[in-house]
Amino acid sequence: MIRQYALPIWGFKMTQFITAVLTSLSSGAIYALMALALVLVWRSTRVINFAQAGQAVLTTYIGYTVIQRTGSYWLALLVAVVSGAILGAVIDRFFMRPIFKRIKSGPIVMIAPVVATLGLLGIIQAIIGFIWGLTNQSIEAPVSTGGFKVMGTVIAFSRYNLLVLIFVALAMLLLIILFQKTDIGLALRASAYSPEIAKLSGIKVDSVRTLGWAIAGASGGLAGMLYIPGYFLFPNAMDLLLVFGFVAAVIGGLESLFGAVVGAMILGFAINFATTYISAKLFFPTAFIVLVVVLLLKPGGLFGSKKSRSA
Amino acid sequence: MIKTTPTKKRLLLYIFFGWILLILGDRVGDLELYQGSFVATYALAITSIILLTGYSGQLSLGHGALMAVGAYTGALSIFNAGLHPVIGLIISVFVAGIFGLILGLVVARLSGPYLAGTTLALAISLPTLANQFPILGGEEGIVFDVGVAPARFGDEFSQYKWFFWISTLAALIMVWLVANLLSGRYGRTFKAMRDNPVAAQLSGINVGQLKVMAFALSSGVAGLSGGLLVMLISGVSPSAFPLSLSFAVLTGAVVTGLYSLKGVILGGLVLVAIPEIADSLVSRIGGSEGFTTTLPGFLVSALLILAVVFTPNGPGHLLKRHHHKKKV
Repeated sequence: MIRQYALPIWGFKMTQFITAVLTSLSSGAIYALMALALVLVWRSTRVINFAQAGQAVLTTYIGYTVIQRTGSYWLALLVAVVSGAILGAVIDRFFMRPIFKRIKSGPIVMIAPVVATLGLLGIIQAIIGFIWGLTNQSIEAPVSTGGFKVMGTVIAFSRYNLLVLIFVALAMLLLIILFQKTDIGLALRASAYSPEIAKLSGIKVDSVRTLGWAIAGASGGLAGMLYIPGYFLFPNAMDLLLVFGFVAAVIGGLESLFGAVVGAMILGFAINFATTYISAKLFFPTAFIVLVVVLLLKPGGLFGSKKSRSA
Repeated sequence: MIKTTPTKKRLLLYIFFGWILLILGDRVGDLELYQGSFVATYALAITSIILLTGYSGQLSLGHGALMAVGAYTGALSIFNAGLHPVIGLIISVFVAGIFGLILGLVVARLSGPYLAGTTLALAISLPTLANQFPILGGEEGIVFDVGVAPARFGDEFSQYKWFFWISTLAALIMVWLVANLLSGRYGRTFKAMRDNPVAAQLSGINVGQLKVMAFALSSGVAGLSGGLLVMLISGVSPSAFPLSLSFAVLTGAVVTGLYSLKGVILGGLVLVAIPEIADSLVSRIGGSEGFTTTLPGFLVSALLILAVVFTPNGPGHLLKRHHHKKKV
């Protein structure tokens, strides 16, 4: 008798576990894109870019408009990533750089960048409201969002989730190649590590920083186009993703791109396992607990360098 | 002749200011009284940000969570334990302060973005905890009723006037206490720690302890402001403390000038006035629903950026600088 019951229960536990692992991976992947966007900006300009949530939503709205006009998700994805890069560069060149030029001294220096990007976030979201309104829009996923079947049961992991994972992995591969194998990557790393010496070696540090903002913007645009099809599109749609991306980046130490991905995966797994096995209400508290535990053990994050210059 | 110390002068000034406010309270309508209560509440929240960020140099993006702690404590002690509203509000100050103390012990060794991230995560996670415990009332929350004014004030003493009295007096007393604290030794050590932690430590200041203390104090002030806020909206629920509240309070603090308590009432006024200005603008020029509901957010953000760019150290600082230039 026991044997007859044991197998289905074991089967249920197994599919539950597999589902938890796979959803952890796919949500961790999205957090990772956002975390990467924040780390790229932090490394190049020592700013936590809260406006990233607004930039990503704005480019996703642009992608949404492209879909409305042409019906092609892939074209929209491309447009969103490119416009994300342009928007990031424009914000750095015409907004952040003048502010930094103005505010050089006094205790406000620490707070000004945070406040400026928060203000920019509000302005971008308001502009989205002016143009597209506040009603929830939705973007159709390009492939099926129905779950895969594992051992006869449908699990909460779809073809689309798989696609997201593949895209995020590809984006990371591109970033690794860019940073490790190209001259541009060398310039980016040099200006992040030591702006003065980079400047002396003939690197145009200001332009390289703007490039960092552009890459971050592209990463945010990709995050938006991959995140929204499972969700709704409205001006504040990416606020929570920003918070989770930020938490992931802080866990990873803010300095390291690898750390951002690791932090995002830790966060994805912790949240999904806590909500699957303990209580669905633990979604937000888990993020806080994981962050506090990591920072208690290592106040500079997992991969933050000890000797990193203070902001 | 009586010797006047700065502390005594400040006390007289606050009593005079409070007296003017109460006289004003008799002359205006219920709507203005209600808005005035919000001004006092926001001014308190801004005071707590200035104490923490402006003086001790720790950036918090999660003051909404600390306000929520005070609000829930107040609601529980008034509604469930049946205590007098004034005692409920005092308890909420202390409980929020103790919460801040614990939080400070955990986060005081973090700095800059690490601290910002932790407080931000707290701001989104703490209010949702209310759904975990049935006593906190879940999504619907619990009522927060301070009751009507005592009978001896007469029949014409409206509920809004009662709100106005409570919040104004609470804010005046609290800001007075904080101002006294910051004009003395603690204010100087806080500033020393903010401007140069290493030098402060070398001169014998216990930086870690001081940071924790700043968190506890700021949290107590925020707790009172949270209690007042839910008194004004008659109930406490997780949705009363969104992320945007934490950001709005920070905006108010930046607009007032983070490094001085003198303008906190201005910050409160700005936070209350902007939705009104947006409303009157909308009623004049009209527009779509997307335009009308996002206009206040747009104005707040624009003001925030303008404040950072043009008066990074507060409007008072700007005046001082002009004054200085004239002299030279």
